Amino acid sequence: MFRWRKLGKVFTPQEVKGRPWLNEFAQAPATLVFDDFVRVYFSCRPPADANGQYVSHSAYVDLDRADLFNIRAVADRPILALGDTGAFDEFGTYPVSVIRHAGRVHAYYAGWTRCESVPFNTAIGYAISDDGGTTFTKAGAGPVLGYSPDEPFVLSGPKIRRFQGRFYLWYIAGRKWKIVDGRPEPVYKIRMASSADGVEWERLGRDVIASRIEEDEAQASPDVFYAHGKYHMLFCYRRSAGFRSRENGYRIGYASSHDLTEWVRDDTKAGIDVSDAGWDAQMLSYPHVFELDGRMYLAYLGDQVGRFGFGLAIADGTIG
Amino acid sequence: MKWRKLGRIFDPAQHGLPGGCIGFAQAPQALVFSDFVRIYFSTRTLDGSSGKYLSHVVFADMSKDLGRVLRVAEKPVIALGDLGCFDEHGIFPMNVVRHDEAIYGYTCGWSRRVSVSVETAIGLAISRDEGLTFERIGAGPVLGASLHEPCLVGDAFVRIVDGVFHMWYIFGTGWKRSTPETPPDRVYKIGHAVSGDGVRWRKEEGRQIVPDRLGPDECQALPSVISIDGCSHMLFCYREAFDFRTNAARAYRIGHARSADGTTWTRDDDALRLEGSPGEWDSDMQCYPHVFQCEGRVYLLYNGNAFGRFGFGAAILER
Repeated sequence: MFRWRKLGKVFTPQEVKGRPWLNEFAQAPATLVFDDFVRVYFSCRPPADANGQYVSHSAYVDLDRADLFNIRAVADRPILALGDTGAFDEFGTYPVSVIRHAGRVHAYYAGWTRCESVPFNTAIGYAISDDGGTTFTKAGAGPVLGYSPDEPFVLSGPKIRRFQGRFYLWYIAGRKWKIVDGRPEPVYKIRMASSADGVEWERLGRDVIASRIEEDEAQASPDVFYAHGKYHMLFCYRRSAGFRSRENGYRIGYASSHDLTEWVRDDTKAGIDVSDAGWDAQMLSYPHVFELDGRMYLAYLGDQVGRFGFGLAIADGTIG
Repeated sequence: MKWRKLGRIFDPAQHGLPGGCIGFAQAPQALVFSDFVRIYFSTRTLDGSSGKYLSHVVFADMSKDLGRVLRVAEKPVIALGDLGCFDEHGIFPMNVVRHDEAIYGYTCGWSRRVSVSVETAIGLAISRDEGLTFERIGAGPVLGASLHEPCLVGDAFVRIVDGVFHMWYIFGTGWKRSTPETPPDRVYKIGHAVSGDGVRWRKEEGRQIVPDRLGPDECQALPSVISIDGCSHMLFCYREAFDFRTNAARAYRIGHARSADGTTWTRDDDALRLEGSPGEWDSDMQCYPHVFQCEGRVYLLYNGNAFGRFGFGAAILER
């Protein structure tokens, strides 16, 4: 068992000036540790358009390594351009996950397109940075992981990791569009793929985390790390209806594995829950665990899925 | 290749189409049985009051000389996809191939987008009742957009050669506007993929296998491949990217390429010479070719004006 001690909200997008594309939201934090700062990638939005629709960009904030609540820099522009007309990522790049490998920074992200019968679809894209993670170039105009017979839509939430000389990607795949209060809402489950080169992916081809609260539970943000002899996953999950409320909204779940493919879920070990009051009193989502100077940290989103930024917690006690 | 035209062999206005279909018999694809030829094609229903269509796959059984229509399917052979799926708004076309006592149907599924009209991908559905009904192997596609084939994967043609599945198909290279005010139009090219089981495919990832004749914006569609006297022949259709719907000079024509090794294709449209007949059903457009062998003869099925709204015709190869 371990407990996450909340440190508070560390980044508030509304406080950033001079960047109209970074108006609100700081979703899906993902870290890259540098010598004297921690770069946290996140996804944000400009104001909605006349039809109330958003696009998502991805950017970063650099936190002082000695004091993570000291913001040293914010990206001057999005790290990725939106796709061209008709491209899979024309309307958003959210979320993004990064890893250093062979002298470059590799990013996997979900690209957003808009559909007629359902509000959107997503597929997973791939981009590479040769300047240490400041700007990224897409590996192609299309997705690196697209739809397949049993992963028919809404491929999103990629988390790139490397274990034992191989790339692993945990992500989500849509299961169905469920009509809730007259509008289609996606149900999605956590999936996994692995790769030798980061381009050709071999899918596991099944859900890796059992559903707990209902068959149509939606699962997201499968964040995997290794500690004390086994693999741990934090993720978030919610009900299929009424999930914009405290009762049915996102919470953080936990699972562990010895072999990366067989996972035992035990949400009682997540070690964090909503607060009684404050920025994370309604929901918790998009967990991301990182190690820094011998301590384990958790970055996560609070109310309205990160509309007002992300916060940090630190592990007390041992992991797992 | 000298083709003798047999004229229009199926006019949807002359036959009852199932399920409220209002016309169109597009992209005919043949499956030869012992005493008839089953020709699958896509027809359309109106989608509510939207003014848009839904495409459905049905078939007509014809005599083996293609002279008589024996029967028309009473319902589509496959239902459209569920909400949000790649084939929710239509299946057009569907290519069929016999394998392992089943019939594999490679569907081109259509789903509507907002900034552009549509996205497509290739699905697989299998029939175990001699092609009367098909069950999809999953809700998603077997071949879709990828890094270097970013959109509009469709129009599969599959053949099994020496135990290897070969697929010729098209992939979109992107959407373009002829002027800033006009809706975007698509550009697509012919590609090739292989598979050991017909389910898991390996693309050549962005390699356009047939050279352009009309320049980089040429649109190439619906390849169909046949081996004649040891040489592979590919028939397909091609058109200009813009102003192609009603301007006969820019509309679909049948193209041709040949290959000795199945990998390198030499374009040779002039070897084909399939002209439209003035004043007839194929006067302004010839598209969606499909070649097949039956009783020792090589037939070509194709659509004419308005992308097949008025049915399909045939030609026979004269050696």
